[in-house]
Amino acid sequence: MLAYFARRALFAIFLVFAVSSASLLLARLAPGDYVTESMGLGARGGTVQDARARLGLDRSIGAQYRDWLVRAAHFDFGRSMQYDRPVIDLIPERAENTAILAVSALAVATLLGLPLGVVTGSRKSGAVVGLIRSASLVLISLPPLLTSLFLVFLAAKTGLLPVGGMTSSGGGHLLSHMIVPVAALALPLVAMFERLQSQAMSEIAGQPFVIATLGRGVPLSRVIWRDALKNALRPIASVYGLVIGTLLSGSFAVEAITAWPGLGYLMLNALRARDVYLVTGCAAAGSIFLAAGTLLSDAALALVDPRTGHRSQG
Amino acid sequence: MLSIRAEPRTFNSLTVPDTTSEVVASLLQATLIRLNRATDDIEPWLAESWTRSDDGLRYTLKLRPNVAFSDGQPLTASDVTFSLEAAYAVRSVADTLEIDGKRLRAEASDPLTVTITFPAFFAPGLRMLDRLRVLPRHKLEEALRNGTIEKALSLSTPPSEIVGLGPFVLRDYMPGQRIVFARNPHYWRRDANGGQLPYVDRVVVDIIPDDNTQLLRLASGQSDLTASEVPAEAYATIKRAADAKTVQLYDLGVGFDANALWFNLKPGSMASDPRAAWLQRDELRRAISMAVDRQLFADTVFLGAGLPVFGPITPANKRWYWSETPQTPHDPAAARKLLASIGLADRDGDGILEDTAGRKAQFTLLTQKGRSSVERGVAVIRDELKKVGLVVDVAPLDSGAVIQRIQSSKYDAVYFNPTWTDTDPASSADFWLSSGSFHFWNMAQKTPATEWERQIDELMVRQMHSTDDQERKRLFDSVQKIFAEHVPVVYFVAPHIFAAASTRVQNVTPAVKGPQLFWSPDTVAVAR
Repeated sequence: MLAYFARRALFAIFLVFAVSSASLLLARLAPGDYVTESMGLGARGGTVQDARARLGLDRSIGAQYRDWLVRAAHFDFGRSMQYDRPVIDLIPERAENTAILAVSALAVATLLGLPLGVVTGSRKSGAVVGLIRSASLVLISLPPLLTSLFLVFLAAKTGLLPVGGMTSSGGGHLLSHMIVPVAALALPLVAMFERLQSQAMSEIAGQPFVIATLGRGVPLSRVIWRDALKNALRPIASVYGLVIGTLLSGSFAVEAITAWPGLGYLMLNALRARDVYLVTGCAAAGSIFLAAGTLLSDAALALVDPRTGHRSQG
Repeated sequence: MLSIRAEPRTFNSLTVPDTTSEVVASLLQATLIRLNRATDDIEPWLAESWTRSDDGLRYTLKLRPNVAFSDGQPLTASDVTFSLEAAYAVRSVADTLEIDGKRLRAEASDPLTVTITFPAFFAPGLRMLDRLRVLPRHKLEEALRNGTIEKALSLSTPPSEIVGLGPFVLRDYMPGQRIVFARNPHYWRRDANGGQLPYVDRVVVDIIPDDNTQLLRLASGQSDLTASEVPAEAYATIKRAADAKTVQLYDLGVGFDANALWFNLKPGSMASDPRAAWLQRDELRRAISMAVDRQLFADTVFLGAGLPVFGPITPANKRWYWSETPQTPHDPAAARKLLASIGLADRDGDGILEDTAGRKAQFTLLTQKGRSSVERGVAVIRDELKKVGLVVDVAPLDSGAVIQRIQSSKYDAVYFNPTWTDTDPASSADFWLSSGSFHFWNMAQKTPATEWERQIDELMVRQMHSTDDQERKRLFDSVQKIFAEHVPVVYFVAPHIFAAASTRVQNVTPAVKGPQLFWSPDTVAVAR
């Protein structure tokens, strides 16, 4: 098991290295740069060249990449061109904001999605089951972009919730500001967890050990919520870490529409401004979260199904 | 409470002016003179009066007495000379403060008098100083001497270190969320009744990246103003809010800027491309101007809120618009004839034009992605040109990528949104002169590539240096006439500009140029 996790950790390190290197090279290779983006049409040739030289954009891509690698090895990920601040200072403050959303959305999705999946997976039909399944199908097919647009519109129309932002200028109100973005992120996840759990439950419900337990006179609800649920958690556990990783690496659309100052929004701005080092830093942070999520997923899977680690070794 | 789309990139008014940084600068800093966005005239600001020498080269400006920076230090002429020196230390700013490649000189003759000497007579005169913010020498001199002036006043500078002459001081900056400004206790300006300005105690600038969210916040009363105009597609929503008396909607008339289409006219840039024989011809651009139905364009792109235009200067620019600008009729048959005159005809009856060698009349049109009016505009152009047999391949790119292609002359054609910084054409010499960096169809020419560009150069040089306003207008009319004959850039429709504010906002002076309702922040008031 230890060797298995060591291998996964090594893979995670490689993933972070590969993603950040690729993002630096791709951001640098794409046409245009920070200088053309910020100075606009009409800047004089000499002025543009001066700015490129000052920012190191006149060097070859190889030299720039080599320099970045050496500095990154010392945990110096360069300086953001648009904010004129070290990338390492910018990422944590935005990652924290994204984490607030991600953890909340995951908690909501877990607390709603799992029980709903158990309900729909353990019953064959009924109005409640039909309603939950239909709602899940709608939510799972709606991209978070549309969900967040709709929720922002609803917040504006009803006036019950703040439209955009993380806090109000008067201070406080974090909870009320969280509702729209958390709901936009959580609703499709609720549906996904419900569908996965439902399918797993319906498969487990027909297993001999469930029938035998029922035959021994154990109440149905206890069999479902204790025995069957534990065995049906495998599909959820296998995607849980990935979901965490994806949420923590930032949701561009939800953060931009709800004006949530997280990692996704920061990366979107960095991409727009062609801020190469900030793009790389955000991509690296995203890949760290994704790698950590994958590790977590593996650990969760090993917890609900101890054969996982051994199987991988074999 | 103001919503703005992007975060500021700096608190330093000397560095690249993005919209947000400009708004921030207008709150924190002040200039010697102010260009009134509503009247388009310059008016006394930190300089209460000035005189001009007979040769028009020297301006002697009297500073207002008893003006202090936000830290209480008095403003003196020495701060003005320092500010000009600091501006020339930043190359992108220096470019905008040069006349014929030469710099202005500033001398302080006493603590409240400064003389600014121009290297040559320049007709717009002090308008040139509209963006030169007066900076505190006592705070920034060391940065200038160290060569770090461009890096001074960054987003990580503590608010208390940012000192200015504007109506507000920086109170708090929450990255990605908001910037909070408080009243400058030392602000120098009073209203007509002697009341202390600014009227509001606090300005909160919320950073809301999505336009729809910005407008929904405005319509629901969660913000008072937006820094940009109301886009055509949001007009109906805001109109409903205005009808419900939750917002005030301002119809400001036609805008100054129209999106533009142009071809790469740099000689030799398409040397090995046989299409150069027709892609760089005047007739092609004139045919395109005829082939596109401008009313259809206005209806589709701006949902009816646009005015057909036929040149770079729109009727919004009342002083410099040439009312006799020829209005090209929508005439696809005449367009086809013109195209035939440069060898483009439908030789195989498939509805697509071919050149004399049988190659399809096809070109790539680069455009900026992510701007809905530009994307809709380019779709109309493509469809309208298809009707006369021209095939347009649309290539949407990020704006930086489009600009790089333009600067390296690696493109067939571009549809973009160039904007004017000032209404006076002499201030936009880089567009009109063939040597200019904003002469985007063939930039920075050493000698004019065409006879008509040489004529425009000559007229513009006279126009920029003439002391007679009527003569300047006459010369610029001639420039517009030549431009209309050769159509180096095709303009279709200028959008109608609308702006909105919550009903709490009072005392705004709307202007066509942005920020439409917030260009004079010290006089804006909010009802309690």
